[in-house]
Amino acid sequence: MAEVVRRELVYILTAIVVIIMIVDFFFAVPAVSAVAGELRTWATIISTMALALGAVNIIRVHSRNVRRRTPGVWYHSAWLIFIFAFVMLLGMLDINNPASNPIYKWIFDYSYVSLGQTWYAITGFYIASAAYRAFRARNVDAALLLIAGIFVMLMNAPIGEVIWVQIPVIGRWFNDVGQVPAMRTFLIVAAFGLLAFGFRTLLGRERGFYGEVAGG
Amino acid sequence: MSQETIWDRLQRIDRRVIYWLLFILLMIPFIRPLGLPVSISPQAISLVEGLRKLKEGDVVVVNISSGVSAWPECLPSLVAVSKVLIQQKAKIIYWTSFVDGHMTFEKIVEKVPGFRGLTYGVDYVHLGFYTGAEPTVAQLATNIRAIFTTDYKGTPIDQLPIMKGVNSAKDVKMVISSDTGDYCDYYIRQWRIPYGVPTAEIGIAMIFSQYQPYWPEIIFGMTGGARGGAELEKLIGELGDATVTMDAINTSHLLVIVAVILANIGYAATRRR
Repeated sequence: MAEVVRRELVYILTAIVVIIMIVDFFFAVPAVSAVAGELRTWATIISTMALALGAVNIIRVHSRNVRRRTPGVWYHSAWLIFIFAFVMLLGMLDINNPASNPIYKWIFDYSYVSLGQTWYAITGFYIASAAYRAFRARNVDAALLLIAGIFVMLMNAPIGEVIWVQIPVIGRWFNDVGQVPAMRTFLIVAAFGLLAFGFRTLLGRERGFYGEVAGG
Repeated sequence: MSQETIWDRLQRIDRRVIYWLLFILLMIPFIRPLGLPVSISPQAISLVEGLRKLKEGDVVVVNISSGVSAWPECLPSLVAVSKVLIQQKAKIIYWTSFVDGHMTFEKIVEKVPGFRGLTYGVDYVHLGFYTGAEPTVAQLATNIRAIFTTDYKGTPIDQLPIMKGVNSAKDVKMVISSDTGDYCDYYIRQWRIPYGVPTAEIGIAMIFSQYQPYWPEIIFGMTGGARGGAELEKLIGELGDATVTMDAINTSHLLVIVAVILANIGYAATRRR
């Protein structure tokens, strides 16, 4: 019984929030707008709390690894906890402007930035290797995709224009005449799908949103 | 047992060979820059034309939704756009949905000489980090102070002269979103459509096609990746990091295309057999 009441309460709350948001967006009723504004601020606060919860969870998971001396993992976890605590303490020395602390700034500038950009750059190597292995003209469709892909790549690289002046023209044709209408169609269809999903959720026909199995 | 032919080997080049070739090809521009001319896309032209329409004192929001890992792709465009905004004497409000967004802001300030003649808090400001994705972007459109009470240094925003009279999307002339994901969608849905705020996109190359259907009716201009940055640099007449990066893009793209063609020649030859 309590479970049913709790579930119904979630449906009702969701429906109320959805109706407030729709009325606010389409009709701009001042009283409703004020409530909608409050709800949006709540959403921001809750998502900020979720970030803090994520940090707490990271510490919990890695503390457990250290406590249990999980083979091959625990020392990485210990290092993570140490760095976490160290950076947080440095940041809290000047909570309003952590970047003013030279050590804090140094850590960000010379480890975070370099590692972040290295990680991102490495994907370029994987993409080169993956394209070489996966891009095969196994049938007419794949051959068309391959040809279009080559022209679009050469359109993006200035060397394409040097090889043949018409390459960017053809690449742009594939992009503007091939890709844009398909993407536009996809966006419109996805929007209709989202609308239908929203209505089904509102009517209680779509239960996945509530953490339940559909139809359950 | 059949012997491996050259056609088989063409399809099975070790990935480490490709990695090394790519590494060597990426080094070439450092030793001898190619400096090939970059043609400019209509999207980049309309972005700069839109920025040039701004008048002195117009408030522009620059949303940084790209992290430091995307600097090679997004930073040159952000720098070029900031240069034009300063030339137009616009008031610039930066904010970010990325935890490392303040580093991008500081890098922009470092790379744009025009900021040296401006006063922080009067001509430009960074309000800091926000969470909450689309609901927050929607709330920023109706009440900026509900999300930001201070700038990223902790100064109350009511003490910042630039924020005087700036409360919602109605007080903002333009929003430019730098993206690695879908934040520009949120600004389109919550700022452009309900309030008519002109919106532009600075994205990584991968999401250029995602926003192209919106141009030019919904977003007035856009750039994609380092290529877009190089186009903006050429348009404003100040070549920078993206123009240098284009050499690496030339060599790497060429390698991928040659490798794919070789693999397909091998595939076609073995399939016939």
